[in-house]
Amino acid sequence: MNRIKRIRSGVEITLDGDVTSLLAQLVSHVDAVLEPPPAADPLETVVGLRGQAPPVPDDPAEARLLPEAYRDDDEAAAEFRRRASDDLRSTKRDAAQVVLTTIPTGGGRVVLTEGQVDAWLRTLTDVRLVLGTHLDLTDDEAADELEYLAGTDPRRPMADTYLFLGHLQESLVQVLL
Amino acid sequence: MRVVGALEDNARMTTIAPDRVAETGGDTRREVDEDEDTDQVWVTVVWNDPVNLMVYVTYVLQKLFGYDREKAHALMLDVHYKGRAAVSSGSRDEMERDVTRLHAYGLWATISRG
Repeated sequence: MNRIKRIRSGVEITLDGDVTSLLAQLVSHVDAVLEPPPAADPLETVVGLRGQAPPVPDDPAEARLLPEAYRDDDEAAAEFRRRASDDLRSTKRDAAQVVLTTIPTGGGRVVLTEGQVDAWLRTLTDVRLVLGTHLDLTDDEAADELEYLAGTDPRRPMADTYLFLGHLQESLVQVLL
Repeated sequence: MRVVGALEDNARMTTIAPDRVAETGGDTRREVDEDEDTDQVWVTVVWNDPVNLMVYVTYVLQKLFGYDREKAHALMLDVHYKGRAAVSSGSRDEMERDVTRLHAYGLWATISRG
């Protein structure tokens, strides 16, 4: 039985073992997707800032996790990517680690602080963005149709996971609002 | 995704302005250009995407910008139904910070000239 409840000391989450196992694997996958590309010069990693902008990721899921900040200005977008994309990757991977270290492995109950719930919400978003890209959700209509896929549709297992994580996320937001 | 419209029209209008000034008096042009760099208002725009939940977008706007529930909800509805909403405005540096924070929350956000 999966349940989310607001209690005095935080937010209590109870999850089944099959859910925690699936979620942990998906979060680990997102964490791996967010691994930064190597710097042109290894010393730049020591300096902490790239001299050249990393390319826009080829993987559309990775690209969706790291959106371009300027729509019509490639130069400004690249400069922003040079300065900000590694930090954004770290921020997201830190949140993923919060989930991986607090998730009740094997199933069970955990009480999260609001800050930890926030990290869970951000990570659930990243997992859903990656799944949504794989499911080719390009508009709201495509997303609505997921609820009505035939049982034999090959997208069904991923769609069910995507929808379940959406419900989980919605329940988590509701207790904070 | 749905693109273009009022925002880009505005952007075009602001880039026309310095030329107009240049036509009326050559020396003022440099001043105007400098003003553009330092004082120009930029906006952070959040775009509709098919993945993010409406209630989550509202939560993020409340959390990051301190908007009350009604304001955050109204902006979220603009994102959802109009395809985008300008959620904050200020200097270019401030907008880059806002966009960074929105990206950390998985929202699709960009920076434009106001």
